[in-house]
Amino acid sequence: MDTSREDFGIAIRSAFLRKGTQQRFSLFVLIVFSTVLIFLETIERKPLQVIRSLLKDGVYRSAVVATYPLKIFSSTYNFFEEHITLYKNYDELLKENEELKNDISKSDFLELENSQLRKLIDEQTESQSNLLSARVMLDKQSPYLNSFVINIGSNKGIKNGMAVLDGESFIGRIVDVNYFSARVLLVTDLNSRIPVITEPSGSHAILTGHGKKKPTLEYLPENHKIEDGHKIYTSGKEGIFSPGLIIGEVETNEEEETAEVLLISDLNQITFVNVNLDNVSKKE
Amino acid sequence: MGISSKNYWFKFIDTLPLIILFIISLNGSSVINIKFFSINIHYILVYYWVLRKPEILGYGVIFLSGVISDVVLGLPFGISSLSLLFVAGVAAYVRVVTVRITLINDWISFIPALLFANFVYFTSLYFSNYVVDYLYLLKNSIFTFIFYPVLWAIFSLITSSTK
Repeated sequence: MDTSREDFGIAIRSAFLRKGTQQRFSLFVLIVFSTVLIFLETIERKPLQVIRSLLKDGVYRSAVVATYPLKIFSSTYNFFEEHITLYKNYDELLKENEELKNDISKSDFLELENSQLRKLIDEQTESQSNLLSARVMLDKQSPYLNSFVINIGSNKGIKNGMAVLDGESFIGRIVDVNYFSARVLLVTDLNSRIPVITEPSGSHAILTGHGKKKPTLEYLPENHKIEDGHKIYTSGKEGIFSPGLIIGEVETNEEEETAEVLLISDLNQITFVNVNLDNVSKKE
Repeated sequence: MGISSKNYWFKFIDTLPLIILFIISLNGSSVINIKFFSINIHYILVYYWVLRKPEILGYGVIFLSGVISDVVLGLPFGISSLSLLFVAGVAAYVRVVTVRITLINDWISFIPALLFANFVYFTSLYFSNYVVDYLYLLKNSIFTFIFYPVLWAIFSLITSSTK
């Protein structure tokens, strides 16, 4: 019994404490160093942030170079795939075009009605949001974090919490800012919680990501009247984001009895985004 | 094959795990998701090479690839490094206590490596206030375990080509 315990101890010591052939560090030292790094991540000190920011910027740039061959491959594949599905898409687009033509006349009327109502309630129509365009630099969806990296950071005044739009639709918020880059946490991520309002039912809810394509609406009022096709907008509650940024539309999942949200933007096809500089800078 | 070209081939084979390791890290593709399947090739790569040819894949390199992975995937620094080092630790222990190289031995001892690594990974994520999908973790661990022999066979072919 004692001998086997000793053998175990020797084996553990040999594996973790001894430097192997051509090894510069022992495993134990590196494990301790990794643990220290994790703790350092929680400390928000300026010098540490600068080092982190520089390191991240460096790695992002290297990653962009490293992913270049893969990007070429996937774009070539998409090119051929698009050609194959061209005829199928043509029919669908014809139908969609017809529907859109019908919708335009409806939306013109609604726009007119909306502007008249705004005048009635003396609402100050805000000027266009203060948007800043950025390119998606790195788009690596991890199973635990649905996010991407954009090519502007604190050098352009980006701050944590700013809303990120694809065209005019809301897709996520800034969660990590470096000097030349920033990370956008998408609405589909497990950690994403966005206060929203439904239209026309007018119910408030929290849009919750699950790491899947469609986030769901949670904390809806008990007797809500949400139906398929209802639009979802940011509510602007708590002043987190500007209100009225469109996100998607409701698609009820009868099997799981949840209200899922079909996003306006295809998050896998985003190349450029707009960062809304308004909400955070206003608060400050 | 002449002597010099043979040498180049051996050198290439020797650096191949390193190249794959850094490509995986920089591409952020340590976990491959194909429909229902989810495999962590980072763990398999580290486990196999630390077990079979530790002189090729240094612990420092593993640590560095973990840090790169964390940056690319947007996780707090050190989480992937720590879990990869635990995989390497189990592999180093198994190397010390086993004599014969068999797939079954390697495969079974890969279970504690996976358990340790995932425990460390998700504990760290939990304390860093990241939401953890436990079902996904289970699925990923199972498929990584199942897929191990496939990569074991490929890597064994690579190592045998240098003999």
